[in-house]
Amino acid sequence: MTHLMRAEFRRLLATRMWVGLLIAAAVLGGGMIGAMALVGPENFDPPLPGLDTETGVRSLLGILGYTAFVPAAAGTVAVTAEYRHRTAAVTFLFAPRRWQVLAAKLATYAVLGLAYGLVLASTAAAALLTVAAARGVTLGLPAHTVLALLGRISVAMVVYLLIGVGMGALIRNQVAALCVVIGYLYMGETLLMMIPGVNMLYPVLPGGATAALTDFTYVADAMSEQLGSATIQLLPPAAGALVLGMYALTAAAIGLVLPMRRDIT
Amino acid sequence: MSTDGLTVEVSHLTKRYGEITAVRDLSFTVEPGVITGFLGPNGAGKTTTMRMLTGLVSPTSGTATIGGKPYKRLARPSGTVGAMFDANAFHPGHTARDHLRVYAAMGGHPDSRVTELLHQLGLAEAADRRTRGFSTGMRQRLNLATALLGDPRVLLLDEPGNGLDPEGMAWLRGVLRGLAADGRTVLISSHVLSEVQQLVDDVVVIRRGELVAAGPWSRLAGPPAVLVTSPDAETLAATLATSHANAGTVLRVDTVGPGLLRVHGLDAPGVADLAAAHRLRVHELVTENTSLEQLFLDLTTGTLTNDRAATS
Ligand SMILES: Nc1ncnc2c1ncn2[C@@H]1O[C@H](COP(=O)(O)OP(=O)(O)OP(=O)(O)O)[C@@H](O)[C@H]1O
Ligand SMILES: [Mg+2]
Repeated sequence: MTHLMRAEFRRLLATRMWVGLLIAAAVLGGGMIGAMALVGPENFDPPLPGLDTETGVRSLLGILGYTAFVPAAAGTVAVTAEYRHRTAAVTFLFAPRRWQVLAAKLATYAVLGLAYGLVLASTAAAALLTVAAARGVTLGLPAHTVLALLGRISVAMVVYLLIGVGMGALIRNQVAALCVVIGYLYMGETLLMMIPGVNMLYPVLPGGATAALTDFTYVADAMSEQLGSATIQLLPPAAGALVLGMYALTAAAIGLVLPMRRDIT
Repeated sequence: MSTDGLTVEVSHLTKRYGEITAVRDLSFTVEPGVITGFLGPNGAGKTTTMRMLTGLVSPTSGTATIGGKPYKRLARPSGTVGAMFDANAFHPGHTARDHLRVYAAMGGHPDSRVTELLHQLGLAEAADRRTRGFSTGMRQRLNLATALLGDPRVLLLDEPGNGLDPEGMAWLRGVLRGLAADGRTVLISSHVLSEVQQLVDDVVVIRRGELVAAGPWSRLAGPPAVLVTSPDAETLAATLATSHANAGTVLRVDTVGPGLLRVHGLDAPGVADLAAAHRLRVHELVTENTSLEQLFLDLTTGTLTNDRAATS
């Protein structure tokens, strides 16, 4: 296993994908949160509660959850690249116990996901606290709570990256896998919510579970309002984390089991 | 030299893809210390067989072993078998060195081996260039380097000469001969006979997934023919025919032209001695190789009789 992980790290570091990913984390964390805090959620269209309220801060951080498709896509690209560039055959020649290859990839990409999450969270925290101070706004949540919420978001990013790895191992075709992963996370889940009845599932879908981490109820509330249905109740944060964890485990299991006997031609 | 050689054995191997039977009840062995050519026209099932040998494709039935073990059960797979399939199996953004370093780590082979192979296979100058710009020749070299990372005793190379120019082929022949001379087991596939005829000692020929012939090249190609120029051609032909009716061996004499005979089943000294014994004049003796292309064509189109297409 250590051999395989060393190989996967070498593979990862040989291209500049990881640099791009961490830059994206800084742009989405520091850049996007900084810009939104600068404008102020109260000036959004439709307006959200201001930064001086708890809901306002939670909403701003909750929006970060919607960038999860970025690490998920990175995981998908990384795994499907092996099929696209036909190195999968070489890899399985060097490591015929295929599940070990995927295990090493999951472990390697968990590290990348953590790096992504930490960059995202730390730049977001820095931007939010700096802008709030500059604008003279007292945040609706104490700084340590903000950091704790951002910490949860970082972990969610690891989970999403692993979901991306699992989906890539399942679908193998790079373009198809990317369409599924980005499509679902970016739009699919929102579209799913339009279907009456299905929207009750929102709390246990990846997006709903991620929102639960930061108690970001904006989407759930908007949805209930729009559809005139009963209020959709998010899971408690711990349960949200559990649900997300289950998704990651499922994705990992898919990644580990599926390539076992498939022909590599 | 072949004391620690490993034998590759394919036994009753069958692979079906839905309706298509890519390989059908195929059995053969590949011995250490020699180069074995795995021949057959396009779609014969060569690649499929070699993928089954390396565990990339699961057989429908039958077994494929290396030194008695299935590939997946080898303790050090890449240190035992070096296999090479696709000429394009590189991440385009990786350099040759990156590619080799990834797989050196994966197989637990030392990084010093990477540098060594880059030099040995003439890739030193291209080592730090991204593979997307590589020519076919460079790709084949890098492929071979990848297969050799673990200094394996067995080499399974699928069309290693594909796309190489004559100079590249000559280089490849040299490298492969050296590897076999060290007692390694070398199996190389090709759909072009002329590409490997100067290289292989043994051959395994398949067609439509089935074995057509297997054995030493010299035996399958049959005895060479001798072209005889003689003013006494007619008498010589008759003498050859009667002498061999007595000896009981198979001999065929064709009259190619006036004063020109082609003798099958007797070598040049044999013809010369016989002619001298009967005081017949011989002006020229040319040993012709059996047309190997013709043999391959015969084998793969099924016109060859069974007694020559020995299935050992
Ligand atoms: N994954 C697959 N699915 C369906 N059919 C396949 C698959 N792989 C190979 N085949 C079929 O099996 C047969 C043997 O193919 P294979 O690639 O082994 O032949 P080959 O001898 O290597 O040919 P070539 O000289 O063209 O490389 C062909 O008819 C091919 O179409
Ligand atoms: Mg082939």
